[in-house]
Parts: sequence; C-alpha cells; structure tokens
Amino acid sequence: MAEDLIRMEKINKFYGRIHALRDVSLTVKTHEVVGLLGDNGAGKSTLIKVLSGAVPLTSGDILIKGRKVELTSTADAIANGIETIFQDSALVPQLSIARNLFLGREPVKGNGFLNRLDQEAMNASARELLKRVGITKDIPPETAISSLSGGERQAVAIARAMQFDSDLIILDEPTNNLGVAETQGVLRFVREARDTGHSCIFIAHNIHHVFQVVDRIIVMRGGKVVADDIDPKKTTIDEVERTITGEEMLNAITA
Amino acid sequence: MQQRTFLQSFVSKPEFGPLVLLVLELVIFWSFNSDFLSLPNISNTLSFTVELGLIALAMTLLMTAGEFDLSVGSVFGFSAVLMWTLFNSEVMPLGVAFLVAIAFSLFIGFINGWFVTKLNIPSFLVTLGMLLVVRGTALYVTDGFPQRTWTAEGNWFADLLAGSFFIGSFRMYMSVIWFALAAFVAHYILTKSKAGNWIQASGGNPNAARARGVHVSRTKIYLFMASSAMASLAGIISSIRTSAANPNSGTGYELEVIAMVVIGGTVLTGGRGTIIGTVLGIFILRVMRNGIVMVGVPGLAYNIFIGAIILGMMALHSWLERRHNAGV
Repeated sequence: MAEDLIRMEKINKFYGRIHALRDVSLTVKTHEVVGLLGDNGAGKSTLIKVLSGAVPLTSGDILIKGRKVELTSTADAIANGIETIFQDSALVPQLSIARNLFLGREPVKGNGFLNRLDQEAMNASARELLKRVGITKDIPPETAISSLSGGERQAVAIARAMQFDSDLIILDEPTNNLGVAETQGVLRFVREARDTGHSCIFIAHNIHHVFQVVDRIIVMRGGKVVADDIDPKKTTIDEVERTITGEEMLNAITA
Repeated sequence: MQQRTFLQSFVSKPEFGPLVLLVLELVIFWSFNSDFLSLPNISNTLSFTVELGLIALAMTLLMTAGEFDLSVGSVFGFSAVLMWTLFNSEVMPLGVAFLVAIAFSLFIGFINGWFVTKLNIPSFLVTLGMLLVVRGTALYVTDGFPQRTWTAEGNWFADLLAGSFFIGSFRMYMSVIWFALAAFVAHYILTKSKAGNWIQASGGNPNAARARGVHVSRTKIYLFMASSAMASLAGIISSIRTSAANPNSGTGYELEVIAMVVIGGTVLTGGRGTIIGTVLGIFILRVMRNGIVMVGVPGLAYNIFIGAIILGMMALHSWLERRHNAGV
C-alpha cells in the first residue's frame, strides 16, 4: 500500500473577501498520478499556487510525508521536493537549455572564488534528459530557450523537474498549445515519472489527455473538492464532465 | 558549405557589427591622417580609453543583470577628490587613502543595490539620486576647487596604478594592463562561471531565477558595488595621469559608458551581455573622439557622430534580433 506523500488538510484561502478555497483536503500518494479537474474559477489554480509556494494560505495544514511544512516561496517548495511547471514555464529565454536545466544548481569544477561551470557535464546530462522526455529532434543543449517551440520549452521544464528528483511534479496545463506528437511525449513522460517513483498532479482542460495518464481524478467546483476518488478505468468522460459542471455527483464527499 | 556556415554564424554574432565599425573607423581616420596610427597617438588614445573602459566592463555585467548605474560619473570625480584630500592633509599614505576611497565607493554601490533590490525602486531613479548626492558632496567638501595631486610624483603606488614605461619608443601605461586584466576577468565571469549564469538569469527572467534558488538581489547588489568600485578606480587613475582631481570631472561619463555597452551589443533590458562587444564599443567611441580631432573636424561636433553611431548600431542589433527570431 502506497503511503501518503502530500496531505493538505482544511485549506482555506481568501483573496480579500473572496473565499477561493473552502476547507479543501486532499492527498497524493507516492507513485501516483492525480488528475485535478474543474471549470474555470473552480479553485484549481489557487490550490496549485498554494502548494507551489507562490501564494500563502489563509488557514490549514500541508504535510509532506507526515511532516508539517510552511511553503513561503517557490524556492521553498522546490527545496521540499515540489516542482511546479506553469503554463508560462519558468525558463530564462536568453540562456541555453543546459544552463536552464542546471540554473541554481550548476555543476562547477574545483572550488573557490567564482567557480568555472562544468559545461561538458551540463551538456551531457542535458542531451540525456532531452532524449528521455522524448525530444527526438537533435537539438544541441547549447540552444537558447528563445529559439525553441512551445512544446520544446515544456519538455525542457519537465526534464528539469525530473532531473532533480522532485517527489511531486505539478503540471499546469502541460499539453496546451502542443501538437499531437508533443502531447504524446508529455504524457509518456508523466508515465515514466510515475514509474521512476515521482508523483504528479496533472491539470488539463482536455479530459482525454487526463484519462490517458492518471490513476485517480479529483474534481473541484466553487472552491471545494466535490469528488476525490474517481477511477478513470471505471468512469466515462461524460460522467466526469457532468461532475465538473455540477449536473451529477460521482463519489460525492461532503466538504 | 562548412565555411559558409562558419561565416554565417560569425556574421550573426552581436559583436560582428561593432567589429566592422571599428575597423572602418580605423581605416578612414588613417587614410585621412597617417599620424592617426603613429605610436604616440596610439599610446595616448589607449591611456584615456581604458579609464572609461574599466567602468564599461563592470557596467556590462550590471546591465546584463537588468540594471544600470547613472552614478558612476560622479563617483569617478568624487573618489579622486576624496583620496587626494586625505593624502594632502597628511592623514594617511596614498595607498591607504586609495583603499578608503574604494571602500567608500563600495558603500555607495551597496546603497544603490539595496534601494533597487530591497525597496524595488527602478535603478534609473536610485542612481540618478545617488549621482546628485555624490556630485553635490564632492563640490561641497572642495568648495568646487580642484585638489593638488602633483605630490604624487615618484610615489610608487601612483606609478603602479597609473604610471608608464617604454617598450622601445612605445609608451605603455600601467592602466592599459589593468584594463586588459579586468576585461579578461569580466569575460570569464560572464561566460564561464556560475556567477555569470546567475547574472544572465537575473536579467533574463528574475522570477524564474529566484524560484530556482538564485540569489537575484545579492547578485545585483554585488554588481552595483563592482560598478561603483570600477568608477572609483578609473577616477583615481585618471586623476594621477592628468595631475588633477577636479570635483567636476566625470560629468556625463555615465551616459558615454552606457553608450559603449549598448553599442557593443549588450541589451539595455538585461539577460544578454558581451564583454568582447563592450571592449569594441569602448574603442569605437574613444577612437571616434580622437579621430575626428586628428582629421580636422571640430571637437564640438563629436556628439553628432556618437549619437549617429548609437542610433545606427541599435538599428543593426534590432535587425539581427528579428532575423535571429525568424530562425535565419
């Protein structure tokens, strides 16, 4: 039985007088890919921002492997093993792929004042990683991010999360604006990430993409979790859609 | 085919335009007046070129990190005044007075950096304020009068900083050596070191950099301190060479230095910088200043040429950028 990686307990978030998250509780187990669904304004983005350290929560607890944590910044969340890949992926456009992959954790030669970057090691791991995320085109790791396509940028961001063995990788609309082949690449990565021991939260408007890859679906509506144990193998897309819009409740839980 | 690709990549480099311009300048001035490339003129041009050059090197790193420093011109003037005032009043030897002046400029840089990063005030406003404070202080403590520097004659420390020696009939200034050293170090930092990666990331996408654990604020504060210290060093070297520490000297240098940096291909908005380009930019402007006098154009027309060069180079860089983005 897989243990709980992340537990969020009774999370509330107010933006001024707007109650964006209402007593949200959810768990993500190790080796689990969870799909987070909900209509615009359902609270998905706020939940993800809280979990990635981008905005502070108003009340509630976040536990990682049973230990209570305070996530006060994005860097803080990353240090705690939570990596979030936002739509406008957090890359530096002017820097190369390799330099972005290692930003903040650059391998250096020797020690002392103003260390020399180990460019060869960076390039070698970058090449390896790009292959793993399924960039089949031969893109040199020295290429600047600014000359990559949207899908390629997404792949680099994903590769970076994978590189540093984050426990939980949050993918916010990773398949938006991607071509068919690139989407398949991203989905393949999510599966590989799970197989190599990572957990994922996968957010996408395209429910077909979600169904292809997740173990469990959580649905949010009006700032609450309205269903948290939907098994994609035992449910149809139609039923899930009705849960999202509120016409039908699957496995409804009282929040 | 291979050669053509090499040529293409060479041409598309941001340093290519400035290189062509510099070569053109040299050829044109030389064809008008062969004395232009005489040893004394080269030596003379080098000596005043590297003083602003020192500031431009530090400014390149700072601008790559997305900030700039308008207070360098007044720090240039103030540091020399401070050092000579301390030395002439026989409070301390020249070397110690030099260290005090550098320490003071580091403090000025720290204040600049602190205001920009901790209070989130644009560097334009912070360093404009600092420009006035520092220049005002220099004028106030000196009553606007230049300080004596002739006592530096034969002082070993002054010789080490700004002295000269002869290689055959060529007069070589120590400051040229310091400049070459500083350029090499700055190039290494920007392109090869971990610090360089942080500098570029801080300018390119500060939020992304911060999320990866890059100390963006600290990086910028260090660079403000470096820019201020280099301005101080340059001002002191200049005061020794010209035997004058004038509280007004360095007025307007900040803009000339920024012009040198952007002509070389460093982006004003940060993220991308080139030391090689800056070195070319430094020589483009300073050769122009010397050259137009040598060919008989009135020195007052200098700014017309500088302005035209800035506009022309910006147009070229933006064209190259668009070409690059179009994937050519």
